Amino acid sequence: MAAITPRQRTGWLTANFVVIALALIPVLWLVSLSFKTPTAVLDPSFIPSQWTWGNYHGILTSSQFLRPLLNSIGIGIIATVIAVVLASMAAYAIARLQFPGKSVLIGMALLIAMFPLIALVTPLFTIERALGLFNTWPGLIIPYVAFGLPLGIYTLSAFFREIPWELEKAAKMDGATPFQAFIRVIAPLAAPGMVTTGILVFLACWNDFLLAISFTSTIAARTAPAAMQYFSGGSVFTVPTGPISAAAVVITIPIIIFVLFFQRRIVAGLTSGAVKG
Amino acid sequence: MSTTTPAVTTKPTPAHAARKAKPQLSEGARAERRLGFLLIAPAVIVMIAVTAYPVVYAVFLSLERYNLALPQDTKFIGFANYGAVLSSPFWWQALWVTLIITVFSVSITLVLGMLLAMVLHRTLFARGTVRTTSLIPYGIVTVAAAYSWQYAWTPSQGYLSAAFNNSAPLTSQVQAIIVIIIAEIWKTTPFMGLLLLAGLSLVPEDLQKAAKVDGATGWQRFTKITLPLMKPAILVALLFRTLDSFRIFDNIYILTGGSNGTGSVSILGYDNLFSALNLGIGSAISILIFICVAIIAVIFIKGFGTAAPGTALGKR
Amino acid sequence: MIEHGGDTSAASRGARGAPVQSHTHRARHARHARGPGRRRRRGSLWRLLAGAAGITLAGSALAACGTSSAATGPVTLNYYLYPDTSGATQTAINNCDAQSHGAYKISYQQLPQASDGQRQQMVRRLAAHDNSMDILGLDVTWEAEFAQAGWIVPWTGTYKAQAEAGTLKPALQTATWKGQLVAVPDNTNTQLLWYRSDLVPTPPTTWAQMIADAEQLAKEGKPHYIEIQGAQYEGATVWFNTMVASAGGSILNASATAPSLGAPAVKALSIMKQLADSTAADPSLSVQMENQNRLQMEAGNAAFQLNYPFVYPGMKADNPKLFKVFKWALYPQVIPGVPAKVTIGGIDLAVSAYSQHQNLAFQAALCLRDAQNQLIGATVGGVPPTIASLYNNPALFPDYPMHADILTSLENASVRPQTPVYQVTSIDISHLISPASGISPTGTEQSMVGRINNALQSKGLVP
Repeated sequence: MAAITPRQRTGWLTANFVVIALALIPVLWLVSLSFKTPTAVLDPSFIPSQWTWGNYHGILTSSQFLRPLLNSIGIGIIATVIAVVLASMAAYAIARLQFPGKSVLIGMALLIAMFPLIALVTPLFTIERALGLFNTWPGLIIPYVAFGLPLGIYTLSAFFREIPWELEKAAKMDGATPFQAFIRVIAPLAAPGMVTTGILVFLACWNDFLLAISFTSTIAARTAPAAMQYFSGGSVFTVPTGPISAAAVVITIPIIIFVLFFQRRIVAGLTSGAVKG
Repeated sequence: MSTTTPAVTTKPTPAHAARKAKPQLSEGARAERRLGFLLIAPAVIVMIAVTAYPVVYAVFLSLERYNLALPQDTKFIGFANYGAVLSSPFWWQALWVTLIITVFSVSITLVLGMLLAMVLHRTLFARGTVRTTSLIPYGIVTVAAAYSWQYAWTPSQGYLSAAFNNSAPLTSQVQAIIVIIIAEIWKTTPFMGLLLLAGLSLVPEDLQKAAKVDGATGWQRFTKITLPLMKPAILVALLFRTLDSFRIFDNIYILTGGSNGTGSVSILGYDNLFSALNLGIGSAISILIFICVAIIAVIFIKGFGTAAPGTALGKR
Repeated sequence: MIEHGGDTSAASRGARGAPVQSHTHRARHARHARGPGRRRRRGSLWRLLAGAAGITLAGSALAACGTSSAATGPVTLNYYLYPDTSGATQTAINNCDAQSHGAYKISYQQLPQASDGQRQQMVRRLAAHDNSMDILGLDVTWEAEFAQAGWIVPWTGTYKAQAEAGTLKPALQTATWKGQLVAVPDNTNTQLLWYRSDLVPTPPTTWAQMIADAEQLAKEGKPHYIEIQGAQYEGATVWFNTMVASAGGSILNASATAPSLGAPAVKALSIMKQLADSTAADPSLSVQMENQNRLQMEAGNAAFQLNYPFVYPGMKADNPKLFKVFKWALYPQVIPGVPAKVTIGGIDLAVSAYSQHQNLAFQAALCLRDAQNQLIGATVGGVPPTIASLYNNPALFPDYPMHADILTSLENASVRPQTPVYQVTSIDISHLISPASGISPTGTEQSMVGRINNALQSKGLVP
């Protein structure tokens, strides 16, 4: 084990610093804006000339924001779990099994991934209204799952292809059904891929704006990005910079927690050595 | 497979199949096919149920003259909408803007994403912190980040505008597009980095060590070992990033609203669908966007050999 | 799912015997070699699924609660309006609920803050014949579109009479389509010239004079910008409409079937271009909206501002020092001696054609915009009223010292083109006049004629 040279140390420290700085500066700008009074907004410095907690107080004491936040988290988690499960099953089948119609499935997944969402909003809206799904959680969960599946299937197929299949064959030779082989041998090896896919799908749901604004009408199902459109300033002409920035910061906190939580699993999965072992 | 006994104990088979090897194989193949269909069924059902009618309806709408505010004037006009779109300078300008944004943001993101992946993979200190922090741009809601950039570039209010002599880049087409590209790069580099990191981590350490022992430099190791082994991951990341970038919407919507010639094809579609309520034209624009995106996908899959999962594995 | 698999294989493992164990043994060891991480992941996955199930149930229950309707008692009327945080709207609602003596209860359904977002939400649901919308708060440019599409119902009989009594004529004009009254004006808005008396003791009366004054100030090195909305959005169309009307013309002809424009439009465009090219123009003119104009003025960078009265309380609160020299005057004239015809703004209340309680909705709307509630809207909500007599009501004076000028401006106001394709027309216009430095008076007028013709025939794309 070679010792870490001072040059390496400074090198990596600098790299770390650059990454962190570039990633955080726009976020810090939002944080700074969220603490500024409407007058201080006019001043371009990062340190607010006038501090206020008013922006946070305003949005956190209002159900108009807290409920959408809860909606975002709940809808995101449910849609992610369902999408990852379905995508895992499909990706395994694509990567490992022989059956006709594989290319049809891939074609369909690609088509959905490529079709512009704006064109689908109006017909989907009509369907949801007819089914009574408008302004409900399932009304957003189901489309999110459908639109998250192509990404999930693709990502997981790529992962599954990299897994050495001798382990599976060995398990099969010992009498396990393909299903058992999947569960006991492949699934643990696919775990990091599934976690990565879960993150991607969750963030896609979290970020979605078009469907959220089109398929909800009250805070019963409205998610956080859509809720930011309902903030208002002192008048019809005022853009509520403070509340929007505060909301943006508050929305980011669950993401930080989420990423922190899952990031450990990525590390564990990627460095486990089982894949190459 | 000569060892049929374990197979018999695990799968229920008709009695006569045990006698010959061939039916045994097709039985296994049949079970495999059944399993295959079973596994993909839920995903396929969900995708079809949600998108079949809307996609078909959107295609149908594109062949109609249909204004939501004038429903009585609806009528079938064949490809006239497509003619109107393709002969409109607005469409070509939007297409041009979209292509520029896509090419620049994807290529720069690829390079930065690779650098980021290497830092995330190899950094000696605070790996967890660096990883979490670098994912934050991807985690922030796009519109929130776009607001951050917009306020930053507002003259006399934003730090970036102040840094550039109180300029207002969002007022001029070229400068605004550059700002949009920067916002896109900032937002999507973590995504690229994440996908590349996963690919990077599958490159075996022993190969790297062996090459080092053989005297290969860092750059040689990178280009001759790492990159080729990462090629599938790179291509998948590029494919998805390009498809997404071509359909860019949120950043432009918040930063400029598409004004001053900075609208992408998606913004054009949105304006015609939701502002002008022209479902016919808007759907035609959407179909054309889809065709462009399909062309890009075909270029990637057929041209660059991006792994379309399953096609390379047909034989086993 | 994964848990089940684990259990099954454990059972089958026990049943199989040695050969199976040796191979799966390796896999098992590989699992354990990773340490307790795997166990934790499976357990946490279970918890995740359980939590997700719980959230779904809770969410569905909450959603169901939200959509359940009262069986008996007052009828719930859904009132769709922009988000008003001042409390004025809620007060008006409470007043009307009380006055209805249990006949109805108004539920304030907030729409997005941006005008476009409000329109899209309503259009989407009205086009789908949504019957849960009753009273709609429409921007003054939407009536033609909504009425033509059959989404709102005309006002007739006593309701019409009550709506028209004492209401400003231009406001009523915005609510009229094809000779029928399709909405009742609630609040309105108009622009004034705001200036700094320390820089300009006597306010200019014409555009030419204002630009000259500003350029003079620029030469003297003093704050000199003329703040106006020049971004590529509805506000630019408002500016253009004001200029054309003030030049004696109009954008569309009387029957709204073809563009009118012509010489007045060319005159209007040349003044706009003159401003854009002069030193008086704010460098950010082409991205500025009402709020940026206000902020620039409050920051002390501007000498003149053409904006709505909301800037008055803003300056009072944000820059008391500058407030002392903050004055107003009527909008500058385009033709000297001819008063400017400022574009009217505001909100009209309409009744949805798919509402199941139209009668009650008419009554509620009339109540929501009656004199008492409009006064509250003006003093608390900051939106000028549409009932003329209120401008002589002393209760209005403290917040609106400029009430006389507002009334003068309103009585002479111009209306934006009244056509179902107004949105497209407006987008076409704003894209041709913003950035204002790109205007070429005759060329732009020609392009405008062509584009508006297309829009009126629903031909072509919007940019």
